[in-house]
Amino acid sequence: MKKWIASAIAVWMLALSLTGCGGKEVAQATSDMEYVKGKGTLVVGITDFAPMDYKDAQGEWIGFDADLAKAFAESLGVEAEFVEIDWDNKVPELDGKTIDCVWNGMTLTDEVRSAMSCTNAYCNNAQVVIVPADQAANYQTAENCKELNFAVEAGSAGKAQADANGFSYTEVKDQATALMEVAAGTCDAAIIDSLMAAAMVGEGTGYADLTYTVALNSEEYGVGFRKGSDLTEALNTFFADALADGTMMKLAETYGVQAAVISE
Amino acid sequence: MIALEVRNIQKNYGKTEVLKDISFSLEKGQVLAIIGSSGSGKTTLLRCLNFLETPQEGSIVVNGKTIFDAASASQLTDEQIRENRLHFGLVFQSFNLFPQYNVLQNVTLAPTLLKLGTAQEIQEKAKKLIAQVGLSERIQAYPCQLSGGQQQRVAIARALALNPDILCFDEPTSALDPELTGEVLKVIKGLKSKDSTMIVVTHEMEFARHVADKVIFMADGIIEEMGTPEQVFGNPQKEKTKAFLQKSLEEF
Amino acid sequence: MELTTFSQQFPVVIQALNVGFVQTLKLFFVTLLGALPLGLVISFGSMSRFRGLRGVVKTIVWIVRGSPLMIQLMIIYYFPGLVLQPFLEQVLGYSVNIGWGGGESGRFTAAAVAFIFNYACYFSEIYRGGIQGVPIGQQEAGQVLGLSKSQIFFKITLLQMVKRIIPPMANEIITLVKDTSLARIIALQEIIWAGQAFMKGSQGISGQLWPLFFTAVYYLAFNGILTVLFAWLEQKLDYFKV
Repeated sequence: MKKWIASAIAVWMLALSLTGCGGKEVAQATSDMEYVKGKGTLVVGITDFAPMDYKDAQGEWIGFDADLAKAFAESLGVEAEFVEIDWDNKVPELDGKTIDCVWNGMTLTDEVRSAMSCTNAYCNNAQVVIVPADQAANYQTAENCKELNFAVEAGSAGKAQADANGFSYTEVKDQATALMEVAAGTCDAAIIDSLMAAAMVGEGTGYADLTYTVALNSEEYGVGFRKGSDLTEALNTFFADALADGTMMKLAETYGVQAAVISE
Repeated sequence: MIALEVRNIQKNYGKTEVLKDISFSLEKGQVLAIIGSSGSGKTTLLRCLNFLETPQEGSIVVNGKTIFDAASASQLTDEQIRENRLHFGLVFQSFNLFPQYNVLQNVTLAPTLLKLGTAQEIQEKAKKLIAQVGLSERIQAYPCQLSGGQQQRVAIARALALNPDILCFDEPTSALDPELTGEVLKVIKGLKSKDSTMIVVTHEMEFARHVADKVIFMADGIIEEMGTPEQVFGNPQKEKTKAFLQKSLEEF
Repeated sequence: MELTTFSQQFPVVIQALNVGFVQTLKLFFVTLLGALPLGLVISFGSMSRFRGLRGVVKTIVWIVRGSPLMIQLMIIYYFPGLVLQPFLEQVLGYSVNIGWGGGESGRFTAAAVAFIFNYACYFSEIYRGGIQGVPIGQQEAGQVLGLSKSQIFFKITLLQMVKRIIPPMANEIITLVKDTSLARIIALQEIIWAGQAFMKGSQGISGQLWPLFFTAVYYLAFNGILTVLFAWLEQKLDYFKV
């Protein structure tokens, strides 16, 4: 039995040493800022989500959020490291320190605000209705959409809007699946983020036959840090400076999201 | 010269007494036949001699050396038990050949692992033993390609390869078709010599009568009767012996 | 830039699937390498003469086999950083860092630990069946020939056990190939993750279901190779009967 425990511990230690973080001591309880500076990287939790975070042809992470994150990391004197996560697990990833922030077109909902330390909003977003392009004319108001059967992402801002408007809906795993449901005809319509809709449906995209009609609400994007983190304030300051010197707008134009940027 | 002395062996499983105060001795070169009905304790006695079972009482002396004493049995290390059991060889009722090895490998496996000589010496000796049991032509065969009688002959060669002081047979022909028992008994009979001491647990009364020097009749865990074949078969003293012999005669 | 034609998409998708499949294969082989021997150790534990040890091992096997691998993955990956680390910091009074790390290597190591442990428990039960299926007479024959316990196991029991367990092991190992896809719950980017990315949109391809379906071709091909390998092994051991 002792042998067994010993070997289990050995496996554990081996695993830790492989990841190169075996019980490294960080001096006396530190602030999040010192923690990030101490290890020299800002680990940014993202998903593949054009135009905010996506890979270029060389496999480099780019996008409005990705470029901003790189600039922010540089201002701290550290390297930005992008890690793809399962969006459902963003809170445990953050709290378990496998990532340092969630910066991926994250809608600021009550849920998000209660679980993370969030920055000021930096980008506008809306929940929009997606329908096949040839039927778009019939569904230009929320009232008209009531007869449709929707696909929404489980636990998303889109689902909240479906509830608020009294739509009948099916919950699916993510926004991409919701789009797929409409394209496949298994649902009549979907509710997704307007920024995503702009990038993913319409002429010249993978969903050329779909389009978006009604905006059901307006909402805002923010960046989330661990609760109590001093990085939140640092990023707020960084956002303000970037807006003031025009770098934020220039980046936004690169990725076609200038209309959404909150500029006051 | 006394090859084996068994003193007051007692074995029980929980409350069931299987062997009660078994004592006997055997001269070097003698063949002992143990007879008796099923459940009389014959097989358990052989298993005790081979350290497959541990008696609660008694001792076993081979060539004047005590190799087992129940009083100090718990102090025996695995190593000592392994060394002591090599005084005995055992041929099982169900052969227990190693299926993944051919005839030659079955015979050479143990001597090789126990480093009882060079590879060549071990091979040569094994081939001689295999010839002795009449299987030279099947030396490359695997157990599944052999008849029961042939398998049992290989098992005998395998046991002989370790030169045991006393070779034990546990009902060596009971698992065989009747027409195959003859070849195995013939081989056992052929082993009889000045130097080889053997104990055969058997149901073959004719074999016991003609090959054995000494016969033990066991019933309910005790030695009911012991003597020469002439005494036990020709002039049994006990009622149980008479009844058993009568019954086995009727079977034919 | 959107890639809309199949001929534009195909090379990009294949490239991404290949990268994902390497991750899948890595997890598969590392799991086998760890779980095959660890399973043997656990099976010995579950057959131990000592009641206490046997009880503990059987309880662990019950828990690991009885709970979903997906939950085990999440616990193993998140538990150290989320629960253990704050607890230790509270007790010790200074910062420690015992998490797996957020990068790919941390996720892979955590996934490997979960898979090795989970599969070792399954293997241990197959081994136990295989070992206990070898007639006791084989062991006794080894004993009366003066062989030690380890000689009996390695020279007599092992190969007979291997022959007995090939069919159930083949089953389990083919299941393992497909189970590796569960590791995407902790964001290990194996082949299904790679295929799914083109549904959500990645590298200018979005709303495409075929890359996900195409991953099945990789699984089929690899499992085909494994099936042939096991058939070959079975045939190699066909020369004896147990």
